[in-house]
Amino acid sequence: MSLSKDRISAIARKEFFHIIYDFRTLFIIFLMPVVQLIIFGYALNLEIQRVDMAVVDLARSTQSRKLVGQFSGSKFFRPFFYQGRLDDLEDLFKSREAKVAMVIPFDFERKLQNETSVQVQFLVDASDANAAILIRNYCNQVIMDYNENRGVKLPLPFDLRSTILFNPELKSSHFFVPGVIAMILIMISALLTSITISREKETGTMEQILVSPVRPLEIISGKVIPYIVLAFLDAAVILLVGLVVFKVPFKGSLFLLTGLTVLYILTALSLGLLISTQARTQQVAMMMALLITLLPTVMLSGLVFPIASMPKLLQYLTYLIPARYFLLIVRGIMLKGSVFSQLLGPCFFLALLTLILLGVSVKRFNMNLER
Amino acid sequence: MQRIFSMMVKEFKQVFRNRPMLSIIFIAPILQLFILAFAITTEVLHIKLLVCDLDRSQVSKEVVRGFGNTDRFDLLGFSTDLKEIKEKMKAWEAQMALVIPPGFSRDLGRGQNPEIQVVVDGVDGNTAGVALGYARGILGEFGTNYVKNRPNYTQPVGIHLVNMEERMWYNPDLSSQQFMVPGIVVVLLTILPMMLSALSLVKEKEIGTLEQLMVTPLTRYQLLLGKLIPFLILSYVELAVVMTVAIVFFKIPMNGSYLLLAGLAFLYLFTTLGLGIFISTITSSQQQAMFTAWFFMVFMILMGGFFIPIENMPPILQKLTYLNPMRYFIYIIRDIFQKDSSLFSLLKDAVPMTAFGLLIFSLSVLKFQKRVG
Repeated sequence: MSLSKDRISAIARKEFFHIIYDFRTLFIIFLMPVVQLIIFGYALNLEIQRVDMAVVDLARSTQSRKLVGQFSGSKFFRPFFYQGRLDDLEDLFKSREAKVAMVIPFDFERKLQNETSVQVQFLVDASDANAAILIRNYCNQVIMDYNENRGVKLPLPFDLRSTILFNPELKSSHFFVPGVIAMILIMISALLTSITISREKETGTMEQILVSPVRPLEIISGKVIPYIVLAFLDAAVILLVGLVVFKVPFKGSLFLLTGLTVLYILTALSLGLLISTQARTQQVAMMMALLITLLPTVMLSGLVFPIASMPKLLQYLTYLIPARYFLLIVRGIMLKGSVFSQLLGPCFFLALLTLILLGVSVKRFNMNLER
Repeated sequence: MQRIFSMMVKEFKQVFRNRPMLSIIFIAPILQLFILAFAITTEVLHIKLLVCDLDRSQVSKEVVRGFGNTDRFDLLGFSTDLKEIKEKMKAWEAQMALVIPPGFSRDLGRGQNPEIQVVVDGVDGNTAGVALGYARGILGEFGTNYVKNRPNYTQPVGIHLVNMEERMWYNPDLSSQQFMVPGIVVVLLTILPMMLSALSLVKEKEIGTLEQLMVTPLTRYQLLLGKLIPFLILSYVELAVVMTVAIVFFKIPMNGSYLLLAGLAFLYLFTTLGLGIFISTITSSQQQAMFTAWFFMVFMILMGGFFIPIENMPPILQKLTYLNPMRYFIYIIRDIFQKDSSLFSLLKDAVPMTAFGLLIFSLSVLKFQKRVG
């Protein structure tokens, strides 16, 4: 008995009606990406700006005021004068009114004129280590500018020209719009397929389908086809919003992106299948799918945090995350105009991952049937 | 009382009978804690650097050495073809290129200000900005040393530099785990109660047992209490487990009061359990409940300051985060862990959080009453 188109399309049609009737889920599936896109596009900004800085100016001199002025002039800081006792400075950190405090010593002016260097103290609220490192670097930069303005810095013997390719304005939305596509595609494909199969198991309809003259492979294909379509539509919506609202460039080939998106959706679907073979109830399937897809995709794929900065062991783990490869593909094609030969590596790994996932889940699926 | 108790026993039995679910509830969060605590770092390291040294002199090699000596850059190769830079970046093989022009050392010696070019892949704006900063620092250091080592160099008279003396409070080692792990605790205290209560109520609805429960002598309050207390207890167990792992394995210092933390967590659980009930009233299947819960979760996590600092957002979005109950609890738990904040200094977060919790909880209970009534 070979695969029958009629039977596959019959199952696909049934599944399709399931989707259409569940209006609320459908609504969320299409609203969600747009909301995420807007949050990521506008809110996700790892660069710190307008840091509240408490200033304790014990010197109250012309030079110390100039130093404070240098900080107000930079876009990174919002200095304000702190009038309270030095011992109570910590309260500012506890109430989060300031993230950094600058203490200018009372002999600032005198030392600046007579000694080679004068120390200005910076107290940083380091509870957020990443922010503290940035704040320290910014402080350093402002101090360097201040020294330079007073004409005490050695001029460099060469010129430095920096060129920024692909995203000259360093817009974070350009980075995140393709990323959201990767995230949404895996959520929808893996989550929905895993639920749909375990629902049939839970309600007992799986056995009804199995005793009908439909072959397992036909069931699987029939079940996943509607979700491929759905995921594709979703990807198109995100892409459109990204191009129109955020003006993200599209430099590469749409044809290539479409082809590789199909590959990625297949990977995600095989992941969903694997989950559904493991889980007997919808609840378990959902929780497993959420745990496997949501946080790892956000954290370990390079969507937000650079993989190269993670500990080595964790870096190896990222090879198992399908989104890792698709991010390189979609960002490469959209923002850089990469061609297929430049993306061979990620494509190969994605294909390999799909084959393994698919192989294991088909095997497990058959085993489940025999039991 | 007896009835609530029987209801609770039933719920516990249901939870403990479901082995896979139980392991998801308890083992998965710990796994996530291990993975996520290490993954979240915005520090930029190991930037892939391509070197185009067209000078090939002793001096230019010294410039390159400056980049090789740090774990901020990984030297991956040399190239003499400038066109290759862009192509390598397209294939994700290089993030930055350093171009030293031919005749660099000669021009440098003559004081003719040769031009060093740094090309950076701007796709990831944050990384690109940081990478440029690193490059400026390394090149600046090279330049200063070069000038100082000139034979005719004389120290300029009257150099009076302002120097920075820094003190890192609360976290002198600058470990990001200290900040992220308490955040993960909040995420878990959000996901678990919300999902469990929503799914368990909807499941009764979906398979029709909710109506059976309604015709028993249980009042609606007893029904809800019997449902929620087990999840409340489970959430606390989860909190204890995760905090033990955090404190024992990650050596996260817990500077504040455990009692205060437990008390405020109770108030926060009103919000998440309330949201769970709310979701169960507006949905009719587990799948719908799941997606609605997912929607709330993504919004709460992204807009709660968990890993995107709220201060960095545009003002309008910052105001929007006041509607997010998670925002308050994240601040609270981090402050208790790191700063030993007292209830008094946390009031400005605790009050709105409690207000949200009570509001959401009572509205959901009312809505639940109407739906079943």
